[in-house]
Amino acid sequence: MLRVKNISLSFADTTVLDDVSIEFNAGSVIGLIGPNGAGKSTLLRVLAQLQKPDAGMVEIDGVNAVTIASNSFAKKVTYLPQTGVCHWPLTVERLVALGRYPHQSSQQLSVLDMQAVEQAIVETDIEHLIGRTVNTLSGGERARVMLARALATESDILLADEPIVALDPRHQIDVMALLQSLANKGKTVIVVLHELHLAMRYCDSLVLLNNGRKVAKGLPKAVLSVENLQTVYGVEAIYGEHQGCEWVLPWGHKKGEKA
Amino acid sequence: MNSLLHLSDFTKERRIVFILLCALLILFIISLQSGDINLNIINVLKDIFNANYSVESLVLYEIRLPRTLLALIIGASLGISGAALQGMLRNPLAEPGVIGVSASAALGAVIVFYFGLSSAFPLALPLGGIAGALLAVILLYTLTGKNSSILTLILAGVAISSLAGALTALALNLAPNPYASLEIFFWLMGSLSDRSFIHVWLILPTTLLGWWLMLSVRRGLDALSLGEDTAQSLGVDIALLNKKIIIGVALSVGAAVSVSGGIGFIGLIVPHLLRRFVGFKPGSLLVISGLAGAVLLLAADITVRLLPTQTELKIGVLTALIGAPFFLHLILKARREWAS
Repeated sequence: MLRVKNISLSFADTTVLDDVSIEFNAGSVIGLIGPNGAGKSTLLRVLAQLQKPDAGMVEIDGVNAVTIASNSFAKKVTYLPQTGVCHWPLTVERLVALGRYPHQSSQQLSVLDMQAVEQAIVETDIEHLIGRTVNTLSGGERARVMLARALATESDILLADEPIVALDPRHQIDVMALLQSLANKGKTVIVVLHELHLAMRYCDSLVLLNNGRKVAKGLPKAVLSVENLQTVYGVEAIYGEHQGCEWVLPWGHKKGEKA
Repeated sequence: MNSLLHLSDFTKERRIVFILLCALLILFIISLQSGDINLNIINVLKDIFNANYSVESLVLYEIRLPRTLLALIIGASLGISGAALQGMLRNPLAEPGVIGVSASAALGAVIVFYFGLSSAFPLALPLGGIAGALLAVILLYTLTGKNSSILTLILAGVAISSLAGALTALALNLAPNPYASLEIFFWLMGSLSDRSFIHVWLILPTTLLGWWLMLSVRRGLDALSLGEDTAQSLGVDIALLNKKIIIGVALSVGAAVSVSGGIGFIGLIVPHLLRRFVGFKPGSLLVISGLAGAVLLLAADITVRLLPTQTELKIGVLTALIGAPFFLHLILKARREWAS
């Protein structure tokens, strides 16, 4: 189980995270939602040990994450950043293979590494992109290649920062379904999202952040309540149901109302 | 998925290494034979083996062999350092000469010359070069920071080169006698002539250490292609990687420049030409850039020996004549990429 305890972090005079404590259950997709500047991406970076908090700690299975060796930590936790940077025009398959870094002792890929790379490529539906260099891909294609790189690590915990932001609706649905299937296999998937309708449909639970504080945590329906959306986002939403699934759609806000 | 098999197939890389080693062997033999005196290598080797120290055997052992070895070592250092700096800074224009490392190493060596330290303590020369190079790389890294743009990198390089150049000029200006300043001036142009095995032994230990440091972070450089955050999350110790490359470049380039003077552009041209053969993986580029750097510098050194000029053309002048237009070509290419 992944857990953050009393995490606080400030940059200069701005409090980014304020005494945040959350438990993330294994085998579930947990959505981190909240308006811009709520602290979602920063919390994800703290979880990935990329940002040291001013106070508090991250625990994995009861062990303080800072005491885990970086290579062991990389095998347990994969971080997928918001920006899909690649500084050299690597081919898609070479880029995905970089996800095997924590498992390799040399530059040569083992049979197991190859299998993991293949599986990640198939799961993210990018087989047709093999052989192409990353600089020739569209934003959506690049996002799926980056996700494949993260999946190739085969870690138990996946931290994804807005992985569907550049995708078309079909691929947004495919990626969210893929994250759900990973959770069904026992993995912990923590994903930052702005697409509330997909958060409601695909996440097992949601954490709502605002101004660095945890406002709500629980089932999507409860977190995405009329009151919470009004208070945190300053929006009104409409709700419905389709094929047994509930959905939410932010609809509008009163003019001049501050989010 | 057969299309993925080439990921674990290093045949292409091995083939390039083999071709470069063959080229190196051929150039090595040509280099031993190139010069004012024609040598029959087989006969000379027989002389050396039979302890018959003929003039030809002395020419081979005292002049051509150390010169050839220095070309190999220094070319390899410049090639590996160029590839390592480009990988670390994620910038194809990073090169010891362009970013001011060579000029700073030269300044370090000039200071040693100036105070006459090298005659009292031979190791002072490479140490001076290493200290200059180390200061330059640290200053560059501080000025540009991580994920530097090409513009920032070049501007910082220009600033460092200018500062080092100004201080070198100051040393020349204040040199106690005109012959000393003339000697330093010619040395700065870069040359491998009149070097002996002493120079080889002087630079070999620090050079080998520098190579080892840079080659030890090859996999980390590959991961760094995805940016520092992702590389760190994959388990790469970014601070350690940067330190190893900075010290590695300083040790190998500093030592090289202290013996050969300023030889530029090898570290720029070589990785650029070879990058596509290793699928643009920066870590895989290091070894073949080292080999190709050795090939290129050895070929350049043979060329300056064979050119029918009145006085031997300085090798640094030749590499600059080839490298500077190549650098301009890269700048134009980068500008087109920015425009699009």
